[in-house]
Amino acid sequence: MDLASKLERLSLELVQKQDYLYKVTVNLERLESLLLSFLNEFGYITLDSINCRDDLEDGFFTITYCLQTKKRDHIVMVQTKIQRENASLPTMHTIWPQAEIMEREMHEMFGVDFPGHPTLIDFALEYWDNMPPLRRDFDTLEYVNSMNPFRKQRGDALDAKEEMKKKREAKKAAKLKAEKEAQTKAALEAQNNPSDEVKDEE
Amino acid sequence: MESGFYGSSLDDSLKCKFEESGLENTHKIMEKAVNWFRSRSIFVVAYGTGCGAIEMPPTFTSRYDAERMGVIGVATPRQADLIILSGYLAYKTLRRVIRTYEQMQRPRYIMTLGSCPINGGMYWDSYNTIKKLDDYIPVDVAVTGCMPRPEAVIDGFVLLQKRIKNGEKAGWEKYDENFEFYKDNQKRVLGGHIDPSYETDWYNLKSGGKA
Repeated sequence: MDLASKLERLSLELVQKQDYLYKVTVNLERLESLLLSFLNEFGYITLDSINCRDDLEDGFFTITYCLQTKKRDHIVMVQTKIQRENASLPTMHTIWPQAEIMEREMHEMFGVDFPGHPTLIDFALEYWDNMPPLRRDFDTLEYVNSMNPFRKQRGDALDAKEEMKKKREAKKAAKLKAEKEAQTKAALEAQNNPSDEVKDEE
Repeated sequence: MESGFYGSSLDDSLKCKFEESGLENTHKIMEKAVNWFRSRSIFVVAYGTGCGAIEMPPTFTSRYDAERMGVIGVATPRQADLIILSGYLAYKTLRRVIRTYEQMQRPRYIMTLGSCPINGGMYWDSYNTIKKLDDYIPVDVAVTGCMPRPEAVIDGFVLLQKRIKNGEKAGWEKYDENFEFYKDNQKRVLGGHIDPSYETDWYNLKSGGKA
């Protein structure tokens, strides 16, 4: 059975994004079985990545599993949505071992729980006790300012904006002055030698 | 912690002995000599914390050859006089840097490359990097640039050598004097998880030395 007819039977839509890139949207209950059928029946043997997008306004995470064939000529993106509150996903580390570290990172950065995952511990961060930092309701700027205040300016430091403004104005004034001087000089010369041009013409 | 023979100046007790026997000038000359030797043999442990690590191989190899000034890399912090921190520091890295720095023997100096250890650089609004390194450990020389060229790094070496030669007060002395200030700052961002907790308390050796 080919991919399109199989998905048609499951009443799923296969959207072609590019020559080699397809996308399927599925709900959470059928996610695991669909991933397994991609692996076993259609030869999408590699799990490239598991991505998470935070749709804060709609209140869910969009999870995308990228699967690739052995020949590396086709990628299929299996997309699903989960609730932001108490987010939880089935772990894939028993099927694809590389999923372990991807899920661990997602747990750290978005707070998604993976029941049955063996190593849901610190990954890149250490002793992090705040909200997961890549959730969009985490106020990064406020956190940064509370942890790392800016260095105080030196006493002799000048405001760059105002200094540049002053410099530009001075330059403009100098240019105007030079133009005026040139004009008066030309006028004076014209007064002193009024007959020069006439002579030349003759 | 008294600055002994391993500090920037010679031992105080030694100084007293010299003064007793009327050899104050000899003491001064010796101190100058020690400082001169010290400035001419800076052993570096290069801690590549960020992107600036890529500037260090050309600095130490034949193109720019920092070894002609007595600057040479070593393997471990215990052998080193100078630690080069090249680039931004995450909290996770800062923990290791503090541990590395405290393993080094006095006199010890710190040189930073790039703008990130000075004011955060392009990572100023990251949830995971520090902005002012000199709040946590004393920085002797900060070479600016993003990234500084090997010429600038060598210029930093020259500046450090000049300071050592003149017997100026170095960062490690400030660290010992303001130890509580630095430790408070470290605890503020690292949440008290500063490794290793089992280390000997070198700063209170007289009162038992247990951390």
